Amino acid sequence: MAFKKYCLPIFLIILAIFPPLVLSPYWLHVMIISLFYVMMASSWNLLAGFTGQVSFAHAAFSGVGAYVSGMLAVFLGLSPWMGILLGAGAGALLGFGLGFLCIRMGGIYLSLTTLGFSEILRIIITNEEKWTRGTMGLQTPGLFAHYSKADTYYLFLIVTVLILFFIYRFIHSEWGVTFRAVLNDEVAASASGINTIQVRVLAFALTSAMAGLAGGLYGHYLMLITPDIPSLGQMFLVLAMAVIGGMGSFAGPIIGSFVLEILSEYIRVYGEYHVLLFGLVALAVARFAPEGMMGIWAKSRGRQ
Amino acid sequence: MTKSFGGLTAVKAVDFHLGEGEIVGLIGPNGAGKTTLFNLIGGIFPADTGAVLFNGRGIKGLKTFEICRLGIARTFQIVRPFLKMSCLENVLVGIIGRNEKQRRKEEEKKGEAGELLKFVGLAGEEKKLAHNLTLIQKKRLEMARALATRPKVLLLDEVLAGLNPSEIHQALELIEAIRSEHRITIFWVEHVMGAIMKASDRIIVLDQGRKIKEGKPGEVVSDQRVIEAYLGEPDA
Repeated sequence: MAFKKYCLPIFLIILAIFPPLVLSPYWLHVMIISLFYVMMASSWNLLAGFTGQVSFAHAAFSGVGAYVSGMLAVFLGLSPWMGILLGAGAGALLGFGLGFLCIRMGGIYLSLTTLGFSEILRIIITNEEKWTRGTMGLQTPGLFAHYSKADTYYLFLIVTVLILFFIYRFIHSEWGVTFRAVLNDEVAASASGINTIQVRVLAFALTSAMAGLAGGLYGHYLMLITPDIPSLGQMFLVLAMAVIGGMGSFAGPIIGSFVLEILSEYIRVYGEYHVLLFGLVALAVARFAPEGMMGIWAKSRGRQ
Repeated sequence: MTKSFGGLTAVKAVDFHLGEGEIVGLIGPNGAGKTTLFNLIGGIFPADTGAVLFNGRGIKGLKTFEICRLGIARTFQIVRPFLKMSCLENVLVGIIGRNEKQRRKEEEKKGEAGELLKFVGLAGEEKKLAHNLTLIQKKRLEMARALATRPKVLLLDEVLAGLNPSEIHQALELIEAIRSEHRITIFWVEHVMGAIMKASDRIIVLDQGRKIKEGKPGEVVSDQRVIEAYLGEPDA
């Protein structure tokens, strides 16, 4: 039983070692970006799919990670590795603050507040010339002395696996039960002795730290940080990945990230319209199959 | 204790106490302030004046989860189990909610949750989603979740509403078992008169926010003011 449980993840991790050996640089790039989205969608799912706080500030927190790390490297000469960790810390801190601000809000009010936060942050970054270089973007040093897509891929893979392992353990612990209790019914959870405010703020801080970490890595990989990272377009893409894959499940956002990122490479010729398409699909999924691809899969298996 | 909402005073200077291990019933016509009184005790909102003392300690101003951890658990008038969670997980939430200092193995907690499900008559339903339960099963599940917090006082808000006579009989047996086996004080609101009169040691009657009578079930039913509150005044 224990062997069977670890069989699939170990197989997938072994499989994940090969892409740099067989894929072209272009597709390796796509894989790296996919891993970034796995980190983003999975951590957003921990917040939205497990505590019911549908935040629109997740991309903004990845922007916080990217810019904090980038600016520390450019202006203070700090090593990107240190910068990324500090960026994750900055994400956690701001996430804690935003979570605290939202404790009395639910549903659409929380979404709108976080959307406002996200836009404020993006506008500040866009209009700031000296520190963030506005729309021109901030050029940052890479992670490795010698630029290597393969090394970057392995780094992204290791961090992604660590984050996923953490999320998996977390949602299968008592915390997972507590988070879902808050998602199901906050009043009843509170009347059962659960400190719902602590749960909500913790979820915000924790997932924002993950977004900050992902954003920091992403920024140093691209070596150019622009206000596109903390943009709503990016946010909706992450949201679509989690929703289409299956919110509230562990595997859903992972599958959704790979499917949508690879798909978007094929429909890139239609420009920004691919985000529109994903938005429409996500809407349809949310309406007709709220548990996403994972839900459809579970249902078809149940029927057999 | 007094509580007003705008111009309406829902609970007016109500004063009472609960003894250890007692079953006390709270009755009164619709809008008498019964649920408001419950919410005042449970900390859903604070009383304007007056205090709730629990073992001599004032609990006014404490948050809902803190009151629960002190030992006051409740069920809801309209059942609120965690619908998309299994029965076992529902009860587990109450156990986690105790916030015990010493750490215990998860298996141990799950075992305890299973025992509680068995106690309320939900053995074998551990993995079923709460969503798929019948009304009485949901009520039983809520009681198990409340018991899981290890309360000293259990507040039951109309647990018998919507149940048929044989289900009411089962529920009353369960309430009696909760008192005798867990030594828990029970304070309950009920509209099913026969049941509450039979099972309670003491009855408190509210009407328009005031306490109009307190006493043994037998005394209460023959009290002129109580009859008036329910049926109207003789010459009206």
